Amino acid sequence: MPERTLRAAPRSWAKSLLLTLPILLWSLLMFSRAMMQPGRAPKLAAAVTLLFMVALFFQMVRTFQTYRWRRYFFVAVGFLFPIGFIWDLIALRGSMSIPVERMLSGDTPFCFMVIPMMIVPAALFGTIVFPGSILATASNPHAIAAMVALWMCATLLLGKAWCSYGCFFGGIEEGFAAVAKKPRIKKLDPRLRWMPWAVLAAVVLLSAALLEPVYCTWLCPFKTVTEYMQVRSFETAFQAAIFVVLFLGLVVVLPLLTKKRTQCSFLCPFGAFQSLFNKTSAFDVRIDRARCRPCVLCEKACPTLSIGAESLESGQPRLSCMKCGACVDACVRGAAVWHIRGTEVGPSAERARLMHLYSAWGFAVLFGGSIIANTLEKLFGLLV
Amino acid sequence: MPAGGLATEALLLGISSGPVCLASCSPVLLPVLAAERKSVSGTGALLAQFLGGRLAGYLGFACLAWLLGLSLNLEPRARILVYGLCDAGLAALLSAYAFGLRAAPEKSCEHGCPASRARRFSDRYHTFAPVSLGFVSGLTLCPPFVAAGVRAAETSSLPLALLFFAFFFVGTSVWFLPSVSLAVVQRFAAVAVVARFTLFLLAAWYGYAAVIILGRYFLHA
Repeated sequence: MPERTLRAAPRSWAKSLLLTLPILLWSLLMFSRAMMQPGRAPKLAAAVTLLFMVALFFQMVRTFQTYRWRRYFFVAVGFLFPIGFIWDLIALRGSMSIPVERMLSGDTPFCFMVIPMMIVPAALFGTIVFPGSILATASNPHAIAAMVALWMCATLLLGKAWCSYGCFFGGIEEGFAAVAKKPRIKKLDPRLRWMPWAVLAAVVLLSAALLEPVYCTWLCPFKTVTEYMQVRSFETAFQAAIFVVLFLGLVVVLPLLTKKRTQCSFLCPFGAFQSLFNKTSAFDVRIDRARCRPCVLCEKACPTLSIGAESLESGQPRLSCMKCGACVDACVRGAAVWHIRGTEVGPSAERARLMHLYSAWGFAVLFGGSIIANTLEKLFGLLV
Repeated sequence: MPAGGLATEALLLGISSGPVCLASCSPVLLPVLAAERKSVSGTGALLAQFLGGRLAGYLGFACLAWLLGLSLNLEPRARILVYGLCDAGLAALLSAYAFGLRAAPEKSCEHGCPASRARRFSDRYHTFAPVSLGFVSGLTLCPPFVAAGVRAAETSSLPLALLFFAFFFVGTSVWFLPSVSLAVVQRFAAVAVVARFTLFLLAAWYGYAAVIILGRYFLHA
């Protein structure tokens, strides 16, 4: 396999097609059911999604670049997920807000963000602090058990790459971060990178004390574009105000100004929890110290402050690395490389990248691909 | 009931409802233990101070209730007031404690420069912080505490009620002992930074809760 540098010539078409074949077959398998559904909208949505996912993978293979092509997919998921979600809510109950009675009857769709908050109450009291249903029901097909199982499989394989390929919220801020050419705010206090851990500690402790998912109730910026408690009191109005302020601040304004994923870097407790699974994943990014001349291009490119001076010294990014590939693509010397644990750093970096991509993109087709296809189906339904 | 039987009952009640007490006090206790980055014995000493404060809170509340001739099964309105005041106390104490924490201890001024009043206050407070936080946590009316209070109120005398609370406290405290294991994270400097941020977030939470609860109490007076 050729060693990748920024200026490496693209891979040949034939070889790129051959390497894309497994993803093409997997995508066909994933979308075959939608293609056999009656009506033109599901078929068209499945075909467009399939082409989109396969074309992006082909480009990743051909150009040796990961971040740029992955970002197209991730931003598409980030912006299409809320559209599809709100669409379903409007169809189901005519509003984005959920009345407390519906919430108490377990009609709340489950979100993976709750997983860290469930652990301590489940261990101490055997209680799941979420008002959704454990198994799928007619009114709520988003079962807790299914989401936890899916998350667990993806997490053990990918570690924190979940935040680059699976999280349907991160794409929104990545989209806003991509708008400006240069960051307006360049210096961020590196201590702030510990904030998600503090939020994680606070929400886990308070969730166990209050037996409620504290992050969902009080801090989730994405309630603004998904579902929130119906405003009936000062308390619920205050909660809604917090959601909007956090969304505008951390998901829209700061990413525009810093070109970083600021919500992921400074707030998201799930991301902090997910970082722990970077230790179980087979794939990671390393910095070949023999090749590195500290130009800090990788540090500037990293969207989550996961590279600092100590990373360049130790040869590996911080635990918060979400394996988006930005640093690898930015490094002109090929010093930032993909790596499989237990192997030597450097010689088989491209092989490691492809191995990582097969698993990550396979999951992306299954999870993000279905989100894209579902929303496109609704939108195409308006047209055809 | 003889004192021995009452003590056994209180101990068993404490052991069986201990996880709820632990969950209720953890938001205050665990960040404090993590922020200090002490050895096992140092963390154990901090835990002992916290539990001592908590015991004082328990017994103080029992005495006060007896002196005022109240049952610990408080009226809902009075209970709301206690909740609100405890949350306000915790918010103030936690933020003072978090402000007082420093990433690295400052060297004392060689020329005898006077430290700022705020710094002197925070240094002095820092010594008593675990005890005071334990005391206010002990006053918080968590469900097991109310259950114990109701039972203690049924006893015939104040000494028996205090005995009941003391053994109840011992039973619940068993669940707190594993938190000494937080000493293993002392070698990670980042833990202290995270714990300090956590203390600020929790202070904000308790502050907000106090405003909401006390606001509700006074608005519906």
